Amino acid sequence: MEILTTMDVFLQSGLVFSLIAMGYYISYTILDFPDLTVEGTFLTGAVVYGIMVENGINAWLGLLAAFLSGCFFGAITGILHVKCRIRPLLCGILVSTALISINLVLVGAGLMGSWMGDSISSINFGREALTLGKVFPFNLIPAKIEGIGVRNLVIFLVIVVFFQLMIDIFLKTKRGMLLFASGDNDRFVTTLSLDAGNNKILGLAIGNGYAAVAGVLYTLISGNVNQGMGIGTIVIGLASLIIGLSVFNRVTFLKPTSKVILGAVIYQMCLTIAQKLGVPSAYNKLIMAIIFTIALIVGQRMKRQKHGGKGKSGL
Amino acid sequence: MIELRNITKIYNPGDLTETCLFKNFNFTVNDREFVSIVGSNGSGKTSLLNIICGSIPVEGGSIVLSGEDITKKPEHKRYANIGRVYQNPAMGTCANMTVLENMSLADNKGKFFGLSFGVNRRRADFYRTLLEQLGLGLEDKLNVKVGSLSGGQRQAMALLMTTMTPIEFLILDEHTAALDPKTAEIIMELTDKIVRQNNITTMMVTHNLRYAVEYGDRLVMMHAGQTIIDKWGNEKRQTSIDDIMTVFNRISVECGN
Repeated sequence: MEILTTMDVFLQSGLVFSLIAMGYYISYTILDFPDLTVEGTFLTGAVVYGIMVENGINAWLGLLAAFLSGCFFGAITGILHVKCRIRPLLCGILVSTALISINLVLVGAGLMGSWMGDSISSINFGREALTLGKVFPFNLIPAKIEGIGVRNLVIFLVIVVFFQLMIDIFLKTKRGMLLFASGDNDRFVTTLSLDAGNNKILGLAIGNGYAAVAGVLYTLISGNVNQGMGIGTIVIGLASLIIGLSVFNRVTFLKPTSKVILGAVIYQMCLTIAQKLGVPSAYNKLIMAIIFTIALIVGQRMKRQKHGGKGKSGL
Repeated sequence: MIELRNITKIYNPGDLTETCLFKNFNFTVNDREFVSIVGSNGSGKTSLLNIICGSIPVEGGSIVLSGEDITKKPEHKRYANIGRVYQNPAMGTCANMTVLENMSLADNKGKFFGLSFGVNRRRADFYRTLLEQLGLGLEDKLNVKVGSLSGGQRQAMALLMTTMTPIEFLILDEHTAALDPKTAEIIMELTDKIVRQNNITTMMVTHNLRYAVEYGDRLVMMHAGQTIIDKWGNEKRQTSIDDIMTVFNRISVECGN
């Protein structure tokens, strides 16, 4: 029983963070853009969703609105980079810094009608709030069976698989292939008489939309929205991505998106095991960083073996 | 017709390293003309191509393409009727995509890139016949990633992909320089065939004097931002590699090389 509840914990968080990792698959792996905006948009997604649900709006609409708000701020990062020629890292820092204020103001404005942003900083879901767990069809599933959060697991699984399919299908379309080409060889896209920059903006919008959805799902675990919950999501997302892609490097029958989801689950599993072994929670972020470092080193090795020493260095 | 009118190009303006490459430079390429351009390093050959394509800005003058002033047009819009093949075979294709995917992307140039499926299997046979003409065995490698092809195969693909959709102008930037002599020969013959078949106005920069003499109907030699040889028709046909070499050596001596 003990092992099942442990699995429940890392499966839930693994699925949630797999969305960020899938977003990073677009922005980091395909477009080679280290996007720091995610830390802000993860929270923005949760905030937008929280406000809408608290105001009695359907949770599905809340999810959609969260996704779109993530896309919006991701696009701003992209525009700063493409149109204003600011370096990728700085674009992310700028937008995620701005989002700290925007998120605070949004919470105040959405719940109290105050645009000052000083009245309230977190959203605690009231009993009457119709969150995703209480809307059709998820309300038909029992919340817990023998201590395992079945309902959450089902919600996460359905949403993660849906968003995975969206990426897989999108990358097969003309626009998706063009997005891939923009990361692979933007000169080539230019000679096709197209602006590769627009595709970068699109990719960053999608990546941050996914991060925002992850934020929404995270509220189902935490039960509230607080301004600190975005911290560390960059490392979690990137580590999940790189673990997934390097561990399953040679597995050809899995799609990259599936590898990334598995990577996210493995990463959360490692963290949960560390906690179960009695490592104090103060060491959490340190362990996160160490696992990430190991993943990077192992990933480099595998990449070098695969390409026989040639190719781009760095993951 | 490609017209460069009074072009001024200064590198690093306002800097200590400021160098003026072109000053009131004029150059015209007539319709359906195949121009070979030779010249030493730094003579302005590649800059000339970059100026036409909009890869680098100019400090003065205007670029007129088929009567339309395109001086202020952004680079990607100019490629609507310009095709370009680079020296580096990696530039003309996407390494991490398959041959079929690359061909599909190139095939869709000028059309809308929407949410319909990117690879049209019904066109696969058409791509296969195109690739067969190259004689490089690419027709059996439709699902192979382009990154695992040889430089020659990639360059042949790049050339094919650029000329798949109707274009008026073809810009070849030392496109055989990175290839072995045998492959370079194949690519050069293929280039000539495609250019003649489609009546494309072509500008080819090359370091291979023999190609410059053998191919094309006009030969231009550039030096320090000026054209010092410009031969057409009969006059060009009578020019030998030795003639060009003589001029080349004379310039080099003047420059102290």
